[in-house]
Amino acid sequence: MRQWWSKIERALGRRRNLACELEQEMDAHLQFVIEENLKQGMTPDEAHTAARREFGIMAVVQQRSYESWQFRRFESLLQDIRYALRGIVKAPAFSLIVILTLAIGIGANTAIFSFVNAVLLHPLPYPSADRLVILWSGLGYSGRAPFSSFEVFHLRQRSTQFDQISGIWVTNGALPGDGPAEQVKVADVTSNFLPLVCPRPALGRFFGPEDDLENAPSTMILTHGVWARRFGSDPNIIGRSIRYGRYRSTVIGVLPADFRLIFPDDASVPANVEVFESVPVGPWQPDGPGFLHVVGRLRDGATLAAAQSEMNSAAAQINKLGGRASVGNFTVSVFPFQADTVREVRPTLLCLFAGVGLVLLIGCANIANLLMARARRRLRETTIRAALGASRFRLARQFLTESLLLGILGGIAALATGYAAIHAIFAARPPSFANFDHVPLDARVLIFTFAVALGVSILFGLAPVFSIRRIDLTRDLRESSRQSTGSRRSWTSALVSAEVALAFVLLTSTGLLMRTFINILHTDPGFRPDKVFTFRVSVPGYAPLHLIQQKLAALPGVQSASAISHLPLDDAGNWYDYYYREGASAAEQTSVMADHRSTLPGYFTAIGATLLEGRDFTDADDAQHQHVAIIDDVLARELWPGQSAIGHKINLSDSPPGFYQFQRDWAIIVGVIHHVQYHSLTAIIRPQIYVPYPIAPRPSMSFVLHTSGSDFGLAAAVRSTIDGVSKDIPTTHVERMQLLVDHARSESRFASLLATLLSVIALVLATSGIYGVLSYSVAQRTTEIGIRMAIGAPRTKVLRMILADGFTWILPGLLAGFLLCLMVTPLLAHLLYGVQPTNLTNYAVMFTGVLTVSALAAFLPARRAMKIDPLAALRYE
Amino acid sequence: MSTVDNLSDDEKLGLLQGTLEVLILRSLKLEPNHAYGISQFLQQQSDSEFLVDNGSLYPALQRLLQRKWIAGQWKTSPNGRRARYYSLTPTGRKELLRATSKWQRFAVAMAKILVPEG
Repeated sequence: MRQWWSKIERALGRRRNLACELEQEMDAHLQFVIEENLKQGMTPDEAHTAARREFGIMAVVQQRSYESWQFRRFESLLQDIRYALRGIVKAPAFSLIVILTLAIGIGANTAIFSFVNAVLLHPLPYPSADRLVILWSGLGYSGRAPFSSFEVFHLRQRSTQFDQISGIWVTNGALPGDGPAEQVKVADVTSNFLPLVCPRPALGRFFGPEDDLENAPSTMILTHGVWARRFGSDPNIIGRSIRYGRYRSTVIGVLPADFRLIFPDDASVPANVEVFESVPVGPWQPDGPGFLHVVGRLRDGATLAAAQSEMNSAAAQINKLGGRASVGNFTVSVFPFQADTVREVRPTLLCLFAGVGLVLLIGCANIANLLMARARRRLRETTIRAALGASRFRLARQFLTESLLLGILGGIAALATGYAAIHAIFAARPPSFANFDHVPLDARVLIFTFAVALGVSILFGLAPVFSIRRIDLTRDLRESSRQSTGSRRSWTSALVSAEVALAFVLLTSTGLLMRTFINILHTDPGFRPDKVFTFRVSVPGYAPLHLIQQKLAALPGVQSASAISHLPLDDAGNWYDYYYREGASAAEQTSVMADHRSTLPGYFTAIGATLLEGRDFTDADDAQHQHVAIIDDVLARELWPGQSAIGHKINLSDSPPGFYQFQRDWAIIVGVIHHVQYHSLTAIIRPQIYVPYPIAPRPSMSFVLHTSGSDFGLAAAVRSTIDGVSKDIPTTHVERMQLLVDHARSESRFASLLATLLSVIALVLATSGIYGVLSYSVAQRTTEIGIRMAIGAPRTKVLRMILADGFTWILPGLLAGFLLCLMVTPLLAHLLYGVQPTNLTNYAVMFTGVLTVSALAAFLPARRAMKIDPLAALRYE
Repeated sequence: MSTVDNLSDDEKLGLLQGTLEVLILRSLKLEPNHAYGISQFLQQQSDSEFLVDNGSLYPALQRLLQRKWIAGQWKTSPNGRRARYYSLTPTGRKELLRATSKWQRFAVAMAKILVPEG
């Protein structure tokens, strides 16, 4: 303590005196020694020299004495920083290259980490988000299916680990308001759903138990967006009665502006739901259809495992209650809500994260080589400093300080590039990221960025430290600073090999992702998207729908017109259920699920699907005649393997009495079509069953117009045609079918685009590494090459020598890269389509590619070596 | 960087960490002295076994000054040179007593263990 105090006193006031005093003191000391020497009979000169030798290096003595007065670490750190800053400013080109490399390398990491942070790490913006779970039912093979009202009721009865068990189902509806009615997404929710995902309404109230009563008046809650758009943000909206579909409904609440609905991609709960209605659940209709997506909140302290085991036993009990679960294979799976919502995005993000990590490593290897080259150039200076008494530790710290400073500057630059990259990536993000409407550059991202910056600067900062590890004063002072020694060269070449290896891994992975994208481009969606124009309408009834169809088909430029309840690759509230053939056993009855679609005749022609067998629907296929259905080839193979499905009976759910009045029914199969990709372009999620509109009426339908090419002015013609039938039929989603297909490809396009970008950066970095190191080596060996030429080595031999030098790094790098690929690429399997991770062509192409580019990078310095003028080279030395 | 680099370890005894401070205190017990005098004193008293390196001596003096165990004062030497004379402060004297008894106990213990058997 006392020592500290003395130091502080000293630091504040008497520092200058110390230098002066010490100098005088040492001078006096020297004089004593000189006098002593003179007494022993030396000449004055001898006495002086001997005294100086005996005293030691005055600067060191002085330095050490100062140090005992300093807050040593701090002050020498300041000194190091000053020195490092001087080094950075004095070599602007070098510093710029390093900072730029870091800006790209770390910036890419910052950007991707921001997405990882926003999507995977940030809790969902819901109260008690960590206790929210999503429940999926399984009947037979499908493990991610919704629940029936009956099942939700009985799960609630049997749950003790849950605070709440709620359900949601999204459909379409027409909403009047200021201006013509509009098609909006409407969610039917249990009265306890909204409180789980929203702390409180902006206006009015949430649904309550009173809204679940059998004769309760119809009520609705609006999102902030639709309230502002359709009702002019009317502050008196609460209590207003709105004609909605066929009945009137009272607005009881408005949600806050920041409310967001976030669901897993495959739950068919889109984010743009704008109206909420309440749907009661009860023990009625044991064999009712599954439609509710269930979100639960665990009670405080409950674990996921306890909830799962409770649901297992509840499922076993529900199995015994009869209904569709009675076949005994009804299961319930509980997943954390957040993890489930990012299930699809996660692998893409993690692969990209790994990719940017590799790019950064390559960049670091380059920087390490640059720093080593610089350390070698400064070897003389370093050696002199060592000779003057700088300890090795001090020198190492000096180098590290410089690297850290470069790293911090790079980190700052990386924040700028990262910020720009976040925006660029956000603009190009695929629909699976759509749930996340902003990606913040928050404290966690900042900490990550600087942690990475410091981490990598220590990594590459160690490189020059290694190179000074074995400073030999006598040798290094004598040697020319332009010579290099073997061990240092081998470090450099190992780094270059590593760069080549990592670049090869990135390129091979990118090749696979690009191949996937190309495969997806060429995949057959089962329909013809070009020249197809679609829009969605609210259906006032079958007669006007039929009339609209006929009028649209008669429009000039329209070749055929029809309508369907769900467009392929659209996210409108999907509808699927179990279907079984006549004579199926109880177990088989719940083994096959299919997407249920309601259509008008002519749909398959209009969208360009292929009718494999049988016939299309006609206007005569209505509720009064024999009920008919058309299925796809996947379902046909599943139910009647090895034979024609035509004429067989299938059990389905339809609703002849009205919208969503479901009942099981038998229908005869009249046609089989080629499977249409409904949910993704790459996977067959479920087979399809099509039924004529009259036996499955829907409140909204999508029209499909096959046009002769130019849809110029079609939207206006469509609007006036519909207005001609009724002024009160809202249309939405007026778009080309191609847009939906492009949308479905966007995920793959996104991944392959980003991967390509990363690969290009990696390749540029790796080749500049090869080029740089080889150029440096040529520059160092100028004399040697000059001598070789002077004594008769032909120029081609020099060229070959330098190229061979390059290839001793490139080839092992490629080999290591190849081995790494064998380990790494299988991890990509989840993102690939139609290409194996071990695809040989891909390997061959990338191998040749990397080899060619690196050969080119090696050739340029080799050619320079070949052109060395021996005379000039020798004179230079 | 040591001025005794040219002597091998066998020839001269290196100083144990912390011993130099005690030796300096001891050298100032009888009378104030300057740095050169201190190093001469230590060399003579140890029969030239201890060769004090200035790179260690000066920092050690600074540390003792910081602890206020010694004080420095510019004086003229008998042969007419101005030199900085160090003297023990009262706390330094106490510290010397404490360290001396500690070192004696330590030396006795070492000797007991190291003494050849028989």
